[in-house]
Amino acid sequence: MKFLACLIPALFLLTFVFAATKKTNVYESFLRGVKKAPPLVLSVFPYIAAVTMVSALFEKSGLQELFLQKAAPWFSAAGVPAELCELILVKPLSGSGATAVLSRILSAHGADSYIGRCACVIYGGNETIFYVSAVYFSGVKHKKIAAATCICAITYVLSVIFSCFLCRVM
Amino acid sequence: MNVLFTVMFIVCAARLLYLAPQEFLPALLSSASSAATLCLALLSSYCVFCGLSALWEDCGVTSAIARALKKPVRALFKTSDPQFAECVCMNVSANLLGLGALATPYGVRAAELLGGKNNTLSAEKKKTEYSMAVLFTLNAASLQLIPTSVIALRTAVNSASPSSVVLPILLSSLFFLALSLPLTIFVYRPKKTARTARRAAKTSAVKIKTNRLAVAAKNFRSAEK
Repeated sequence: MKFLACLIPALFLLTFVFAATKKTNVYESFLRGVKKAPPLVLSVFPYIAAVTMVSALFEKSGLQELFLQKAAPWFSAAGVPAELCELILVKPLSGSGATAVLSRILSAHGADSYIGRCACVIYGGNETIFYVSAVYFSGVKHKKIAAATCICAITYVLSVIFSCFLCRVM
Repeated sequence: MNVLFTVMFIVCAARLLYLAPQEFLPALLSSASSAATLCLALLSSYCVFCGLSALWEDCGVTSAIARALKKPVRALFKTSDPQFAECVCMNVSANLLGLGALATPYGVRAAELLGGKNNTLSAEKKKTEYSMAVLFTLNAASLQLIPTSVIALRTAVNSASPSSVVLPILLSSLFFLALSLPLTIFVYRPKKTARTARRAAKTSAVKIKTNRLAVAAKNFRSAEK
């Protein structure tokens, strides 16, 4: 744990020392980098807003619950505990939402239980697919990544099943 | 994305209108405000990590890494744009370290570099789509050596061994990549086979025809003389 906590500070420290020895103008460079951050966030914001709006509607309209009820038997048939359905649904859409669900699952079932471990592997082993596809390609005009998104969505379901299998054997 | 967004919105809005119409606007507004909060959080982390990455660029670390990984990048993405290679390398290495906040700016820039080109040729366009799809799939797998956020969350709830899930997470990501990457490459591969071959045959046939016509006209003219 100590090692992990040191990782990021060490990364910064090494970079600053290295840049200074290379006679880079550290201050100017850092400013140049920070200057790029606000436009980036602004360009990404509409996509995040649209995705969160639709997922809020999905949740509020009760369709999410309906979907979870319908999907739970299928998932438990594949060896995935029904308690994880919400996490599985939220993870491709929003990272912060998935973090909230994961911490709820961990505190409810314990971090070292089968369910808790499965939740961690599902959370860590997959990326927020729809979010990435919306944000990364926000500045691109012709986007033909629909097929790639579909492939990743299907693979996501399979990898969830595989994750739970891994947790059972490891 | 357009179809998905429209269908989801209409279906959800219709159901909400039927069940609880008074919750429609509050749901939209609160989600928009949570998006704004999220963007503020993103802004703060981008400020920190964009500053760091600018330092890397200026002292030559980025280009050194990109140079080291030039061949695999070219083989995987089928482009040799050095700037794109730099962005991709930094994107992948940030993902490996579990620094999603650092990976995103690089990923966005790599996608912009790909999309910013004026590709009028259809073959060139296919290539761009291919590179984009590969970039997306690589990022969707979130291959990471140290899943920092998961370990932090597990430590927070007093797990006996917070890092026991590291190996399963890595394996699961690899499984994802092993399934999706070949499929993506197959679907988006630049089609050189049937269609282009046929087109090439056609153009050469036309060329032969025009050549023959020209020769015939020449013969005709010389016969007239």
